[in-house]
Amino acid sequence: MNGVTRVLRALAIASLLSQSGCATIGETWNSMWSDVKLPDFPAFDEYTESPKSYVEIALEHDFLVRVKPWERSVLARHDMAWDPDGLEAARRNHTFFSKEATMPGGSAGGGGCGCN
Amino acid sequence: MRRSRRERRRERATLRALTSSALALLGVAGKASADTAIDHVETSYSFSTYSEDKLESSKTIPNGERNRFKVSTQQVSLAAPITDWFDMSMQVTHETMSGASPWYNTQDAAGTPIQIMSGATITDTRNDLNLHANYYTENGRLGFSGGYSTENDYDAINVGTDGELHFNEKNTTLSGGLGLSFDQLTPTGSDLYTLRPSQESKQSYSGFVGLGQVINRRSMIQSSFTYNWSKGYLSDPYKEVFGIGNRFFGDDRGGARHQFAFLVRYNRHVEETESTFHLSYQYYIDTWGVSSHTAELDWYQNFGDAIQIAPHVRYYSQTAANFYLPYLRLNQAPLPEMSSDYRLSAYGALSFGVKGEYAFHTPWFRDIEWRANLSVERYLSSGDLSLTSVSVPAPGLVNFTVLSAGLTVVF
Repeated sequence: MNGVTRVLRALAIASLLSQSGCATIGETWNSMWSDVKLPDFPAFDEYTESPKSYVEIALEHDFLVRVKPWERSVLARHDMAWDPDGLEAARRNHTFFSKEATMPGGSAGGGGCGCN
Repeated sequence: MRRSRRERRRERATLRALTSSALALLGVAGKASADTAIDHVETSYSFSTYSEDKLESSKTIPNGERNRFKVSTQQVSLAAPITDWFDMSMQVTHETMSGASPWYNTQDAAGTPIQIMSGATITDTRNDLNLHANYYTENGRLGFSGGYSTENDYDAINVGTDGELHFNEKNTTLSGGLGLSFDQLTPTGSDLYTLRPSQESKQSYSGFVGLGQVINRRSMIQSSFTYNWSKGYLSDPYKEVFGIGNRFFGDDRGGARHQFAFLVRYNRHVEETESTFHLSYQYYIDTWGVSSHTAELDWYQNFGDAIQIAPHVRYYSQTAANFYLPYLRLNQAPLPEMSSDYRLSAYGALSFGVKGEYAFHTPWFRDIEWRANLSVERYLSSGDLSLTSVSVPAPGLVNFTVLSAGLTVVF
C-alpha cells in the first residue's frame, strides 16, 4: 500500500466516523471545523415558523415556477387568451384607431382605412 | 352529471399535452403535438352599431349641423384546421357609414373654437377581407396574413408575417411580426373642393417583437414593442384649417410618421371565484409630437360553465400633435404643416362597458358548442379627462356608444 492510498483511506474512515457522530475521532474532526463561521441565513419567520429554502418558498407562493404541460388547464382557459373574442378585439381596435391618434400595439400590419 | 363540451375539450387538451410530453420523455414522439393547429372548426358572426352623440349646441354655430357619424358593422370569421400542423382563418367585415363629420373650426363671439360639420352627406361602405394561415412546429408557429379593404374613396392592401418561438419548457414565448400596407385614396368631391386632392397614396411598414412569460399556473404576462413607419399622403382630405378673415387651407400633416408603442398585458385567473382579470397598459409616442397612455382592465366573471359577465373599463390620454391648431388667428401666416382635426388635439377619454355571454351545447344536434353574446360600450372624451391640463379643448371631441350582438359556433 503506497502513501497516497493510505492517506485517502484514513480520510475516508475519518469522514465516515465524523458522520456517525459517536466516535472520538469523529468528534475531533468536527471540532476542527467548529470555529468556521457559516454565513447568517435570512430569517424566514415572516413566512412560516420553520426555516425553508428559497425553492420551498417559491413553490409555496406559486412564484417563478416552471409550469408543466399537464398543469396548464387554467392557462388554456378561453378567458385566459390574450384576446378571447377575435371579432370584438378587431372591431374595438379599429374604432379606437379611427378616433384616436394612437396605433394599437402588439401586432404588425393590418389594413389602412379612410377613417383616419 | 354530464360534463360540458368545454370541460371535455379542456381535458382532451391536457391529456394530449400530457401524452406528448410522456412520449417525448420516452423518445418516441414523432410529430409535434404539444403546440398544434386548432382542432375544431369555429365560426363567429357579430353585428354592431356605433353611434356618436350629437354635438352640443354650444360647440357649433346656431342652427349648424349637430348630428354625427353612425356605423353599422357586420363581421364574420371562420377558422379551420387543415392538417395537424396547419390551420387557416378568415375574417370579413362589412360596414355602412353615414352622417356628418367635423370639417373645420371657427370661433364664437367669445373667441372660443367651435366646430363646423360637413353636413350629413356622407354615405360610404367598407368591405374588408383578412386571411391568416399558420404553420406549427414543435416549438413555434409561423403565420402569413393578407388583407384587402375597399371603400368608395379608399382602397388598402396589406400583407404580413408573424411568428412565435417557445422555449423554457414553453413558459417563455418570443413573438414577432412584419407588415406592409399600401393604400390608395380617391377623395370624393375633389372637383367641388379645390383644396381636396383627387388621388393620393400612402404606404405603411410595421414590425413588432414581444416576449411572453408564464408566471405560474394561473397568470401570465406579455410585453411588446411595435413600430410603424407611414409615408405618403397622411393628411385628411375632408378636413380644412380655417383662418379668421375667411381664409381656408388644406389639412397637411407632412409626408412621414414614425410611431412607437410599448404594450404590457397581464392575465390572471382566480379559481376560487371563477374570475379572470386582464390588465393592460400601453405607452405610445410618435414623431408628430403625440404621446399617449392607455390602461384597460377587463374582468371576466363566470357563473358556472354557461354564463359569463365581463365588465371592462379603459382610460386613454393623449397630447396634441405639434401642428394641431384650432384655427389660424387673424393675419397669422399658414404653417407648413397644420391640422384642426380634434383627434390630434390633447384630450383624455374614459370608456366602460359590459359584455354578457351565454354558452350552451346541443347534444341532440351534432353536439355543437354555441356562444351567444351581447355587449355595450360607452366612450366619453374631453379636455378635462386629459392627464395634462388642456386650456382650449377641441370642440369636436366625440362621445359614442357601441351596441353589439354576436354568435360563435364551435363544431
